Amino acid sequence: MTESELIALAQKGDRKALTELVKKYEQTIYNFAFKICRDKEKAEHTMQETFLSMVKSLYQFSGKSKLSTWLYTVVSNHCLMLARANKKHTFASLDDDDAYIRDVSVEDWKIIPEKVAENNELKEALDKAVEKLPPDYRIVFMLRDVEGLSTEETGKVMNLSVPAIKSRLHRARAFLRNELNETLRT
Amino acid sequence: MTENKNSQKDISCKEVMHHICENLGEDLDSPKCVLIKRHLDNCESCQSYFHTVESTIKFYKEYNVKISNDAHSRLLDVLGLKDD
Repeated sequence: MTESELIALAQKGDRKALTELVKKYEQTIYNFAFKICRDKEKAEHTMQETFLSMVKSLYQFSGKSKLSTWLYTVVSNHCLMLARANKKHTFASLDDDDAYIRDVSVEDWKIIPEKVAENNELKEALDKAVEKLPPDYRIVFMLRDVEGLSTEETGKVMNLSVPAIKSRLHRARAFLRNELNETLRT
Repeated sequence: MTENKNSQKDISCKEVMHHICENLGEDLDSPKCVLIKRHLDNCESCQSYFHTVESTIKFYKEYNVKISNDAHSRLLDVLGLKDD
């Protein structure tokens, strides 16, 4: 059965079709939520909220965009709300990208770990770096570079123009590289 | 960064680094790209910069978490789909 057929059935109240759709996307949404929240409990909560929104609003889904794009929009909004509620956390200011792109000699990283999953030190460095990024930059980076959405799709999800996406992506890439450089250059 | 080569390269390392962060491997047909490619061929520092930006993205792509069976069950429970 195609995804469109499953959606059509789920819109008519078919619980099996709805379950299939949830099963199809739960891993993607959970993983994405974790990449933004960097916390398994928050990722699970965000995933649940995302699918509750999906169940509530599926009847409005017109099929003009992909269901995955629609779900990325919902999960991104939940992540943004969660981050904004946590006012204690301070983020790096990315207004001045000259702070991250300097005309200095750059060396390749000496250690290029093959398997990120097995390298706890690297995982910690990746978590720490991304936690400093403001949430909208973080989401743009994850959608565009990690999940592989196009710039236009990322713009639709974030409700931002293509130049605004490009600017955030540019700064996020430079910032994260710079942060990881502190750990990996030695 | 290779000293004294910049004048021959027509474009500064900083401009190249900005371009790398903006475009990575995209936009290869732009006129600026010819200059970027020429610069990259001759500048080890910018080659390293390019590799480290690519590695940054690769690391985040490879850092994934699997949903646990418990989390899967709780999700279906929350959605009222547990018996389906």
